[in-house]
Amino acid sequence: MEREREIMDVAIEAGHILLENGAEIFRVEETVYRISRHYGIDSGSIFTLSNGIFVTADSVGTEPFAKVIHVPVGSAHLDRVAAVNQLSREIEEGKFTVSEARAELERIRHMPGKTYRMQITGAALGSAGFAYIYGGSPMDSLTAFIAGALLYVFILFVSRPHLSKMVGSITGGAVATVASMLLYNLGLGEHLNYIVIGAVVSLIPGVAFTNAIRDITDENYLAGVVRMLDALLVFFCIAMGVGLVYAVAQRFMGGMVL
Amino acid sequence: MNLFAQILAAVLGTVGFSIMFSVPREYYPLCGFVGGAGWLVYCLALPHLAAPGATLAAAVLVVFLSRFFAVWRRCPVTIFLIPGIIPLVPGGDIYWMAYYIVTDQVELAAEKGFEAVKIAVAIVLGIVFVFQIPQKLFRALIGPGGRN
Repeated sequence: MEREREIMDVAIEAGHILLENGAEIFRVEETVYRISRHYGIDSGSIFTLSNGIFVTADSVGTEPFAKVIHVPVGSAHLDRVAAVNQLSREIEEGKFTVSEARAELERIRHMPGKTYRMQITGAALGSAGFAYIYGGSPMDSLTAFIAGALLYVFILFVSRPHLSKMVGSITGGAVATVASMLLYNLGLGEHLNYIVIGAVVSLIPGVAFTNAIRDITDENYLAGVVRMLDALLVFFCIAMGVGLVYAVAQRFMGGMVL
Repeated sequence: MNLFAQILAAVLGTVGFSIMFSVPREYYPLCGFVGGAGWLVYCLALPHLAAPGATLAAAVLVVFLSRFFAVWRRCPVTIFLIPGIIPLVPGGDIYWMAYYIVTDQVELAAEKGFEAVKIAVAIVLGIVFVFQIPQKLFRALIGPGGRN
């Protein structure tokens, strides 16, 4: 009984880390099944939504086990997804006892993320790259690098800790556009449009969009549709943020900047 | 169009996204390769196909390579797929749609919006079909030489 509980807790914790950090529903369920089955529980059932996991187990002769956990969607940490994936494979190879697996999951949960400086550099690189491939000049790309970095500072210190997703995306789009306009008016870059396209790129909900498609393909419609709605809403909000700034600029500066 | 610079920008952009999504450092080169290869196909296909067709061709390659690398390096396909697919996401079209709406050019806005939908559908098709290829095929392609 105690052991069953311990096994299920480990399996669910693995699923929790996966779901929270950007894994597909299929991978979450598969991992929970694999871990519980390896330790001898065949009666497990799992149902996963985009932000919750429902698990039961009911072996003969033991008290039934049931657990529901709420998993608020955070920002993606694919290194944790990879680590849990590796752990689940090694559990199946018999390399971990239940308590060792629990300790390893604890370690994965607290794996240090990338430093702020790394993340800002990543966002800036993304902005520079995409400003160029969407049609900008090298100078536009350089300007987008700066604007993209500024936007990510805003994301890290204002929108992620303090704002809801929708407001964060709208203000993010607006901040990126204002930053691009300022830089452009300082004489940096040649095409404002491409600078803005590059600058907002780190807001693109790539994880939600890709996972939504994967989940719908796997016939996990409920989770997939919720994630797709999430992605579309964020796309819409970014466009709205950019559009709002343009509309205000046009109104008060007579469209000079456009 | 300077193809080499285009590919370089796509590779750097993809690596930038890998950093943002906390991909383990050892996979940055492969992620960059997936993103760059996808964009190369897109650029090569664009003179012959419309943007959605070129996106489909690129998406097929991106998903195929992601699955190949995932089996080879024994890690989740998500690691390569999410950063690699981002250059194909119709961010530019969505931007132009917003731009044309604000500047009161509704017809152009509708055109760009519809284009964005078509490109998104092309990405979906690429993902859906290439994920139907059985995992066994990738194992067979890699053979016993895969990392353990």
